[in-house]
Amino acid sequence: MRMWIYIIRRLLLLLPVIIGVMTITFVLVSTLSVDTKLNAYYGPSKFGYAPTVSCSQLGLPGTNCTNPAYARGVKALGLDQPIYIQWLQYMKNSLTLNWGSTEHGSYASTNLIGGSTIPVTTVLSYFLPYTLELAALSLLLILALAIPLGNYSAVYRNRPLDQATRVLSFSGFALPGFLLAILLLLGATVLAGQFAQVCNGQSTPFFEFYGSWPPSGCLPGGQLPSWVGSFGQTSPTGFPTVDAIIHQNWFLAWESVKRQILPAVTIAYGSVAGILRFVRNSMLEVMNLDFIRTARSKGVPESVVVSKHAGRNSLNVTITVLGLTFAGFIGGFAIIELVFHLRGIGLLLAYSILPSPDFGLIFGTTLLFTIIVVAANIIVDILYAYLDPRVRLG
Amino acid sequence: MPSASANSDPTLPSGKPTGSTVSAALPPKGRRPNPRIAQLKRTWYFLSRNNLALVGLAILIFFGVVAVSSFVAGPHGFPDDHLVLYCGSYAGPGTQTYVPLSGSCNLICTYPSNGPPPSPNCYAVDQYNPGNVPPTLNLAHFSGGPLPLGSLTIVSDGNLFYSIYDGFVEGAQWSLAISVSIVVTGALIGLLLGSMAGYLGGLVDELIMRVTDIFLSIPALLLVLVTLAALGPSFSTLPQRVGLLVGAFIIVWWPSYTRIVRGQVLVTREQKYVEASRASGARAPRIVLKHIVPNSLYPVFVQLSLDVGSIPLLVGGIAFLGYHIFPTLYFPEWGQMSALAVGILPGELTACQIASTTSPCAFPWWQLLFPGLIVFLFAISVNFLSDGLRDAFDPRLRR
Repeated sequence: MRMWIYIIRRLLLLLPVIIGVMTITFVLVSTLSVDTKLNAYYGPSKFGYAPTVSCSQLGLPGTNCTNPAYARGVKALGLDQPIYIQWLQYMKNSLTLNWGSTEHGSYASTNLIGGSTIPVTTVLSYFLPYTLELAALSLLLILALAIPLGNYSAVYRNRPLDQATRVLSFSGFALPGFLLAILLLLGATVLAGQFAQVCNGQSTPFFEFYGSWPPSGCLPGGQLPSWVGSFGQTSPTGFPTVDAIIHQNWFLAWESVKRQILPAVTIAYGSVAGILRFVRNSMLEVMNLDFIRTARSKGVPESVVVSKHAGRNSLNVTITVLGLTFAGFIGGFAIIELVFHLRGIGLLLAYSILPSPDFGLIFGTTLLFTIIVVAANIIVDILYAYLDPRVRLG
Repeated sequence: MPSASANSDPTLPSGKPTGSTVSAALPPKGRRPNPRIAQLKRTWYFLSRNNLALVGLAILIFFGVVAVSSFVAGPHGFPDDHLVLYCGSYAGPGTQTYVPLSGSCNLICTYPSNGPPPSPNCYAVDQYNPGNVPPTLNLAHFSGGPLPLGSLTIVSDGNLFYSIYDGFVEGAQWSLAISVSIVVTGALIGLLLGSMAGYLGGLVDELIMRVTDIFLSIPALLLVLVTLAALGPSFSTLPQRVGLLVGAFIIVWWPSYTRIVRGQVLVTREQKYVEASRASGARAPRIVLKHIVPNSLYPVFVQLSLDVGSIPLLVGGIAFLGYHIFPTLYFPEWGQMSALAVGILPGELTACQIASTTSPCAFPWWQLLFPGLIVFLFAISVNFLSDGLRDAFDPRLRR
């Protein structure tokens, strides 16, 4: 089958991109100081990670002694090796999912995963499903908005509807995501009528729409059910809403979806603009082609011409653009998840920057986001090839 | 005359040059209009018929004037703003017995809005003119004080106190300078690499474009953030920090331009006039600089004008995620101001609700509105202008 050859070729082309991305992160990692790196990999040490310590700490004579923790760490991480060996080592670690561990007692670790030191990949696997669920919901919303609006603004070109979508897309470009998010959060909270609720003596702002789950004190049973684990990860699939449905906990399923609606709207509003313009332009181009005129002249109703003949053909462009905008779209997740306090890798990233940077998490989340973008591009390419035979056969 | 019908503009010579009579067909040398000037005039004609673009241009000119005038007026006690939150007993206007806020003050200052605050408490004082800003800033009730456009207080992040009006005026130069320098440098790099890749082709093209792909597959905001997080600690002075910010953005910005330029060069390279130039013996640098680059410039220019508006949004996003361009000191940048205002809001509202159980809290709307509005106006007017430019440049879109 030609399709399989095409997919395999695309996957092979992926390899240099992944290696390149890792090289960029490697360059950034190697600018970090040695003790930052050692802290990120091994957590705090009794002697710190300075090259030398005062000998009295070790119970030895003399003034300056080599720090055993430093020496051991440098040797174990291969920091005394030449740079290309370090690069190879980094590649090996990255490809074998050995991404280091969270820093003990860092802000992210304390607030999101209970302060313990656990491998970054484990943390990410707990948080990824939340982000994917939000991404799926936002994508659904974007497509549901962009395709009909784009089509109609092309059909009714320069009419009020077209002008309205133009204003919509411009304002979507220009409004900062965090500002729109907080405005929606405030508006929804005002509509819901309750700003903060005190549960078990703990006050939670924006109670109704803040966080992935309701504050545990406010739940009917007084705490989250057992399938929501200690770090908030759920079982068996890890996707919060899906798991709630599996466990037939309709209350939590609704709560989980409700808390994702506003973030999804924020994300969609910001990214629908570009896609809408592309749908409109590709639709305008298709509408001038010969086969549309043929369809019209043989008496096909206008609505069918728009939806079947033109719409189907402009879909290709839409999918391509969706792939291109995905990078920008997923990059905004950190901000949105921080405003709404949704669990997800974006929140993880936001928490791992200040006040104490957790470099294991920073680089881990970046790599994961990049992998998501690359994977999305591959899926888009394959979809495109599936929809348009000229691509895979030509 | 088929070629003249495609060239119906009256300002251009419409004669059809044939063979050896080229010079005879052209008007006399002195009166011949420069084709580039003529094109500029034509572009302006189409742009001036687009109302939204003109509105955008007017707003941008206003921002530009603000930036230039604040630059000419000189730094306003920069980087220490003249407004500082102080903590201590208030001894009346004109006295200098304040102690800088050191964390012992609460976020909420509950003192009567007209009288002096009870001790110890925090209030805003103009360092250079203490009598001018009386400490009537009652944060519990979120009164904006006597400042134009209100104020923005960030107590948890290093005791910063922004007058939003001053932030707007002083931030104009920073925001505009940062945005323009990032985008122009990125576009220049993109122009160089893109025209190399497009014109030379082969291995060079493959190499440049693969590297471009790699950079494009990392989400822009994250790449900037990671670069800043990794390199930030080793940059300490203000010029260094701003330089680092600009540099990190350039790393993100050049690939998209490279891709645009390459695509455009691939089209331009095959045009007849390039072929003619090559046939008459021009070398590669001359062809690229004189023919290919000027003729593939307009999509770059449109994209460039679009991107200028998004920089303050991205800077705001980074500030919102916790990276401060210049921590602990007043640094007016529009995006960052807006982000700080949004960032402190939940805490303020919560504290306000807990603190004042008897009197209702007023909503600090000016903190959200004014910095946000500035960023929004800047971005949207840039969008309007670049949309108008795109229509004016592209003959197919005019109609």
